[in-house]
Amino acid sequence: MSKKINVMLALMLLMTQLVWAQNKTLTGKVTDNNGAPISGVSVMVKGTTAGTFTGQDGTFSFTVPDNAKTLVISAVGYATQEIAVSGSSYQLSLKVAEAQNLDEVVVVGYGTKIKKDITSSVAKVTSKEFQNLPLPSFEQALQGRASGVYINTGSGKLGQGLNIRVRGISSISANQQPFVVIDGVPVVSQSLGSATEPDNPLATLNPDDIESIEVLKDASSSAIYGARASNGVLLVTTKSGKQGRTKLNVGFFTGWSEPTKKQKFLDATQYKELFTAAADNMGYVAADEFEAETGTTDWNSTNNTNWSDQAFQEGYIRQYNVSLNGGDARTKFLFSGSFNDQNGIILGNRLTRATGRVNVDHTINKNFKVGANLSLVQSNNYRVPSDNAFSNPIQLNALPPLHPLLAADGKNNQATLYYNNLIEVEDNNRNLSKTYRSISSIYAEWNIMPNLRFRTQAGIDWNNLQENQFLGRRTLDGAPEGYSYDNQVTSSVFTNTNTLQWNNKAAGNHNIDALVGIEYQRGIANGASVEGRAFPSDRFTRIANAAIISSGSSTETQFRFMSYFARANYKFKNKYLLGASVRADGSSRFGADNRYGLFPAVSAGWIISEESFLHSNRILSFLKLRTSYGRTGNAEIGNFSSLSLYTSAAYANIAGLVTSQIGVPGLTWENTDQFDIGLDFGFWNNRISGEIDYFKKNTKDILLNVPLPATNGYTNITKNIGDMTNSGWEFTLNANIIRSSSFNWTTSFNISTYKNEVTRLVSPVPPGARTLGRLAVGSPFGEFYGRKYMGVDPANGDALYMKADGSTTNDYSAAVDTVLGDPNPDFYGGWNNKFSYKGFDLDIQCQFVSGNDLYNIAGFFQSVNGDYFDNQTVDQMNYWKKPGDVTDIPQPRLYDGNGAGKSSRWVQDGSYFRIKSVNLGYNFPRKMLQKVKIDNARLYVAAQNLFTFTKYKGYDPEVNATYIGNLNLGHDFYTPPQARTITVGINLGF
Amino acid sequence: MKNIFKILPLAALLATASCKKVLEVEPQQSIDAATALQNDQDVNSAVVGCYALMGGGALYGTNFLMLPDLQGSESYCSWRGTFQSFRQVASKTMTRDNAEASRTWIAAYRAINNANIVLANLGKVNDAALRTQLEGEALFIRGILHFELVRLYGLPYDPATSNSQLGVVIKTTAATDEAAASEKIARSTVAQVYARVLTDLNTAVTKLPDDNGTRADKYTALAFLSRVYLQMGNYAAARDAANEVIASGAYELAPIPLIPFTNKNTAESIWEIQQNEQNNAGQANDGMATFFASKPGIGRADVRMNTSFISSFYESFDFRRRDWYYVGTGARPGNTYCFKWNAFEQNLPVIRIAEMYLTRAECNLRLSTNVGDTPANDLDLIRSRSNASSIAVPVLADILNERVRELAFEGLRIHDIKRLKTATGSFAWNDNKLVFPIPQREVDASVGVIVQNPGY
Repeated sequence: MSKKINVMLALMLLMTQLVWAQNKTLTGKVTDNNGAPISGVSVMVKGTTAGTFTGQDGTFSFTVPDNAKTLVISAVGYATQEIAVSGSSYQLSLKVAEAQNLDEVVVVGYGTKIKKDITSSVAKVTSKEFQNLPLPSFEQALQGRASGVYINTGSGKLGQGLNIRVRGISSISANQQPFVVIDGVPVVSQSLGSATEPDNPLATLNPDDIESIEVLKDASSSAIYGARASNGVLLVTTKSGKQGRTKLNVGFFTGWSEPTKKQKFLDATQYKELFTAAADNMGYVAADEFEAETGTTDWNSTNNTNWSDQAFQEGYIRQYNVSLNGGDARTKFLFSGSFNDQNGIILGNRLTRATGRVNVDHTINKNFKVGANLSLVQSNNYRVPSDNAFSNPIQLNALPPLHPLLAADGKNNQATLYYNNLIEVEDNNRNLSKTYRSISSIYAEWNIMPNLRFRTQAGIDWNNLQENQFLGRRTLDGAPEGYSYDNQVTSSVFTNTNTLQWNNKAAGNHNIDALVGIEYQRGIANGASVEGRAFPSDRFTRIANAAIISSGSSTETQFRFMSYFARANYKFKNKYLLGASVRADGSSRFGADNRYGLFPAVSAGWIISEESFLHSNRILSFLKLRTSYGRTGNAEIGNFSSLSLYTSAAYANIAGLVTSQIGVPGLTWENTDQFDIGLDFGFWNNRISGEIDYFKKNTKDILLNVPLPATNGYTNITKNIGDMTNSGWEFTLNANIIRSSSFNWTTSFNISTYKNEVTRLVSPVPPGARTLGRLAVGSPFGEFYGRKYMGVDPANGDALYMKADGSTTNDYSAAVDTVLGDPNPDFYGGWNNKFSYKGFDLDIQCQFVSGNDLYNIAGFFQSVNGDYFDNQTVDQMNYWKKPGDVTDIPQPRLYDGNGAGKSSRWVQDGSYFRIKSVNLGYNFPRKMLQKVKIDNARLYVAAQNLFTFTKYKGYDPEVNATYIGNLNLGHDFYTPPQARTITVGINLGF
Repeated sequence: MKNIFKILPLAALLATASCKKVLEVEPQQSIDAATALQNDQDVNSAVVGCYALMGGGALYGTNFLMLPDLQGSESYCSWRGTFQSFRQVASKTMTRDNAEASRTWIAAYRAINNANIVLANLGKVNDAALRTQLEGEALFIRGILHFELVRLYGLPYDPATSNSQLGVVIKTTAATDEAAASEKIARSTVAQVYARVLTDLNTAVTKLPDDNGTRADKYTALAFLSRVYLQMGNYAAARDAANEVIASGAYELAPIPLIPFTNKNTAESIWEIQQNEQNNAGQANDGMATFFASKPGIGRADVRMNTSFISSFYESFDFRRRDWYYVGTGARPGNTYCFKWNAFEQNLPVIRIAEMYLTRAECNLRLSTNVGDTPANDLDLIRSRSNASSIAVPVLADILNERVRELAFEGLRIHDIKRLKTATGSFAWNDNKLVFPIPQREVDASVGVIVQNPGY
């Protein structure tokens, strides 16, 4: 954004230089603390538009009027300086910018703002904090770095959807993810694919193209996005060209990865011991039962196969990127390209991404400016099956160690208790999602008057997803003669935005800016799929060779928005701030009786440190109190939820007509009213700075399915009928602890909380058959509810459960359901430390979550004291053996279900502290590089998920099985762990 | 600059003026209910929609054909699969939230509503003959679905009593808006439901054509009427209806018993659910072949036959033993499975002419009549087709055993146990546990207007 300001400045310079006739010439050089020249620094005469930029060698030269008194020297990333004009030559040294510069420019909806003047709550993460990290997708950069943003990556699957929750959970059945806007273009961030588990369309973005990510958290910042802002807004700004010599940057990194943790299961000896006991206790013969269930005589074999480790492969990552940027006062450009290739840690998982980008800004004359951001991405995602599929590699850990890995013919063994899904990645089998995507926009700006600017932007998010699956005849779903599936989805979202912006800068004590705008958006998604079976051999994988075309489909869906918005900010005496905004959103999604919604917000700020009583305080350098209140909406309610509909139903070869939905014509968006109060502070010239925020969100009119008696032909009707609240604290502290010429240490810490409470429902939503997450009034979203496990009766080895009176029973059905935990964290946050010593720099990013509970659904199969022949976790060996034994593992009883009921037996604390990323770099000395004509060179070693500290006994505490839906947070079901990735890389600038 | 002030408001005005239209977007895969049914074709399609719903796994696609046999599993078959809902049916431990009890109830009333919508829109059909036929089909569908529901969700019909025990909700009006869809209607008595079923089916018989392709015709309705009367113990009416179907000459037994299950729409079949490769009740988690078959790549082999049932019921040379039972080679290999349900795309015979012969034989024998033919001849027709030895002077038990042999795993077992007042295992014919629970969601959604069955 700052570049745009620079462009305007340059433009003004151009004009003004023609005007002044009687001048003198100033020359000088700008360097940093280490004496290195800085290019592109703005040098201006204060109070005028006269000025210039430094060249590549840091020097400048320009003519100033004779009466010029003060020069203002500023550059992105450095503290602005003012010096008096005397003489005609200057040698300047710019200080390194403060860790948290209050003059920093923050991107807000449809514009930018100086951080000092902001009256709302916005978190910002810049590229410096995540560049060169092997991020599977860019949103992960926010994890632990942005307060108020809770991210659960869910699993170690590449290109998989992840949970992003800004300030808690603000919906039940509509979308809960934030609204994402890239360079002013709203983009599709929800899965387009047909797989059970969502893919992540945002994984197609090259994180290295991103300059900054702003998260609009409170109502005053987000209400300008109206009906789509209740879950917060992510504003992504890509890099753009900088004025100056054309610079070429190339980067390369490579690395390898492994699971953060592997779990231990029984070996053959332990397995036989446990199941012999389990069979004996029930009067069975273990070998006979094993044979009956598996159809093999492997019980008597000497095999000792570690099936669980077979699920993993050696991961690697490689990335090449190149960018070219530069420009002059009128035209600036950035070209970038990258190729990224990641081999996941889970068998068969791979993600490649090739990206290209062109960002250009051009100033036509003093009144007109145009520009374009064009990007094209191609990505291949070789996907892992859904957690609950027998083909999920992690489910291999259920196979008894007694089965041999390979059959006698040397192929993967097919005679196993469950499907040996190693077969799934044999030969020509594939599960590929290929994406072509372009998020592009063009804009034009017209300065109608010095203070009035018109801007129009047309943007498109075009996304083509091609899913292609082939399963050969040896696979579970491909048998007997092969199976192939193709699916194509093309989504195109067009947005046209027109704004008129008015700035009144220098009007004494009063400072006003205002914005009005109109936005139109149209989204269309088309899909076509075909499915074929029966191939001559597994060497044929395309449906052209299928004997049976078993299904085919094509679909289209569409939505439109028509929006009007306005915003005004008023600043009095540089210390009293007022802001107000309003947006009217109309959408085709809203019922005919309720087409338009109004979303207003107001905010106020008081820069207390500007008051006379604090102005000269040496310790407290900055203090601002701010508050806001406003309304936002959630329009992700489905495109046609308000209608009563008929659809087709096929009856063999003929198609019939059936009712499919009964609707309410008044159905509309969900409303969220949010209050925020915050304090921004700085001490010792902002060497220590921070923010404290408290928020309260009241969400009303949540869409819920109201159950109907099915006897009338419908099971439910969707109405705006639920309420929910979220409240919490956010605290951020930044400190520049050591600042010397050779050694620097800055630290940044943030911690956030949210407390969610469901306050109105039609009826409680109980947990599913295998899950614990429920909805109940007065409880947090997804609260765990079920039978409480009370350990083992030492007398007989029976599993015990809690009864209503708190006593225990071995009769599962006599026990009562009770609250077993909460998957929402008590608090979460991050801690970042940056060190630099001479040419070395070290960045350590930690991240933590505390107080959230996890439920391992797979416990019913894998930690159930040998109830069935699934291999068990090693802790089950501590089973009850004889009267008097005190243990929490019941007596093994084959098929008997002793302790197998869904209960808190598999609920665990999911708190963790993780060293999320470490990046150690060395910058080669400039003098050495000049000889080989290199501007800068940095060699680095980086690590993701280096260490995790947790009590969770499963694979990884950052887990969220997505196939079971939104409500079941913190559930683990054979969910693959995250990857620990170590990379080495180099960046060169020419 | 002045121009911009003229253009902007104008643009805004234009946008405002046109936006009402801009925001009207029609769905593509569905159509608005207000305009869905307009002419002959639309109403005809709505009838086809009813058949499509009936072909789903919740109705004839699986549950109506499989659950009555699972419920009577003792000394007959066993459920081996992982689905708890089916396991509970087999072990008579169904819970109020049993998934099968829920989905069958919901799907049946959805199809009934679709049929009621057809009846409410008959005025839109111009062709008088078509109008009569569609009316007959809608009544047939509404009638048989109420019949299936009352057999599963109500205590058995007992001709010796007034049948005032609760049956199911009788639904004869169409719901197309929120108010109608929210109506809470109490369960009627078993007697009332059977009366409604008879009215609907008898009316359907008068409206339906003699031949209606693969859709229900006059004889389909008569065959179901025969079933209903038999269930009610009205042997004369059951006999006469069965006789009328047989006498029509439209149906005949296939030369060997395999044929009606490996071919579509054979002459033996009175009515069957149409399926094909694309459209069937399911290939992974639903569908008859899915649960019964154990062939390479086909079936989960979840329903396993008791070998002692086969060896004690069928003579070794009985073709039915050869054609209908086999040792599995797919999932859970090495055990015995029923071949009647062998392919995902096969049609599902719901009612076969063999049943009509057996019903006529049973009723004639009970009533000591020979309407149509003698019980011995009817029985012999069935037995000789399968190479079974002939029984010269059949007694009632012979005919009832033949029903088990001939109609095994076709969804009749528990209904026959109930009407014959016998038992399955330790569960007597009128045990509460042989009645499905009313889905808890129905009790909740109706705020208790729909009451739960005893025992749940």
